[in-house]
Amino acid sequence: MKYSELTLRYFETAVGAGVLTGSEVHRGAAGSRARGTWVQFDVQVASGDIRAARFLAFGCPHTIAVSAWVAEHAAGPAAGGALPESVQKLSDRFEVPAEKRGRLLIIEDAWVAALAAALQR
Amino acid sequence: MRADEAEMNRPVYLDHAATTPIDPRVAAAMAQCLGMQGEFGNPASSHEFGHAAAALVEQARAQVAASVGAAPREVIWTSGATEANNLAIFGIARYYREYGRHIVTARTEHKAVLDPCRELERHGWQVTYLAPDGGGVVHADQVAAALRPETVLVSIMHVNNEIGVIQDIAAIGAVCARHGGARLHVDAAQSAGKIAIDFAALGADLMSLSAHKVYGPKGVGALLLGQRGGAGTQLTALQFGGGQERGLRAGTVPTHQVVGMGLAFELARAAAPEIERIASLRERLWQGLASLGGTLRNGDAVRSVPHILNVSFEGVEGESLLAALRSRLAVSTGSACSSALQEPSYVLRALGRDEVLSESSLRFGLGRFTSQSDIDAAVVAVTEAVLRLRRIAGA
Repeated sequence: MKYSELTLRYFETAVGAGVLTGSEVHRGAAGSRARGTWVQFDVQVASGDIRAARFLAFGCPHTIAVSAWVAEHAAGPAAGGALPESVQKLSDRFEVPAEKRGRLLIIEDAWVAALAAALQR
Repeated sequence: MRADEAEMNRPVYLDHAATTPIDPRVAAAMAQCLGMQGEFGNPASSHEFGHAAAALVEQARAQVAASVGAAPREVIWTSGATEANNLAIFGIARYYREYGRHIVTARTEHKAVLDPCRELERHGWQVTYLAPDGGGVVHADQVAAALRPETVLVSIMHVNNEIGVIQDIAAIGAVCARHGGARLHVDAAQSAGKIAIDFAALGADLMSLSAHKVYGPKGVGALLLGQRGGAGTQLTALQFGGGQERGLRAGTVPTHQVVGMGLAFELARAAAPEIERIASLRERLWQGLASLGGTLRNGDAVRSVPHILNVSFEGVEGESLLAALRSRLAVSTGSACSSALQEPSYVLRALGRDEVLSESSLRFGLGRFTSQSDIDAAVVAVTEAVLRLRRIAGA
């Protein structure tokens, strides 16, 4: 399969892969390893702002690349729990094939779950 | 970048089960047929140029036959093993359709066998797909149990293209012989030139061969059609036009292609001692990969050819593993990538592997030009990729 230059860059560097610890850290996950795609985000939220984010991902290069991009661009207002960019825009940015766009919804679900945990505080 | 630098930067090629580079001696022999001074004539022509080309074609036929224990008259040139499989399956089905319309094959066969069988099912044929054991072996008693009075064909591959498992063709051949009406077809694309083959002794009636798996050219292969006893096995031709190959495969015989195949098979027979070296390299590769942990070898390790190793890696996703290796290592994945969404290998699924492990498998195909440094580089590349992906996955 061909991947865009951006997809390869984020897949290969996987910036932000890992976990966060601390009282301001909240975790959300979605998907299933047994079904081929699983994503987890840790977000550090203070005073309504996302200070840092990390991810873990079991999935295809698009899943890892987009998760890394989301973690890298997360800092700022929590904005009600939305992704830094819509699923459609992420799909366009990373040239995700139509057949694989459902995997971006798993990323979104993991992100929303993490932010929901933070915003409930 | 200089040519030698570009060569050094190419990934290590461990996909010889997919195809092999043409041996330089084979390429030279083929080139001899192509120019004005070579034997470019149509081998069917009745002039000097044609006679000279025909002599080369017959020499190649004898080379291929000798390398697999067949008689030259049993060799029918085709465009490759896929065409040979199609000719065998459809040809037998059509010729013997008044005797019965049942075929026995295995779930782990190549698509070039399974798809023709499915096509026949769409036209009223019945096909029994045997399930292999956990090691990928189809047993002769399974074949015996599946045979019916109306069975006209059993098609079982000699060596599986994904896991390298060798089937006991002689035992299956004996079962078919006892039945009397069931012809045995063997797809030998992965075994020819890799392990010794004696077509006559195996009890097969038909056998498919490919040149490009044996350091020969793509675009040429052969179907062996057994001529033992009585009238031998009969076929209905699938294409018509010039009556070539005893009317069983019409079309001008490509002299340079069959010359390449003939020499490639002869060289493979002479290179039999390399099998031990390749087996040693495969063991080195497996030991290196096994030290990673979470690695599962697919297929019966004892009953396998020396040039194929299939391994599943726990905790990694298959597409990402292949992508992580793409600049360092050329291997095949356990996924059939027919679209953007990869599907798990049906061969590994038939062995009982789950979907994730089936997708996270790699097939390593070693070859004549594979070196120890290639193997060591492959171990390093796979180890780094697997550890990195497991870290990203939190595994």
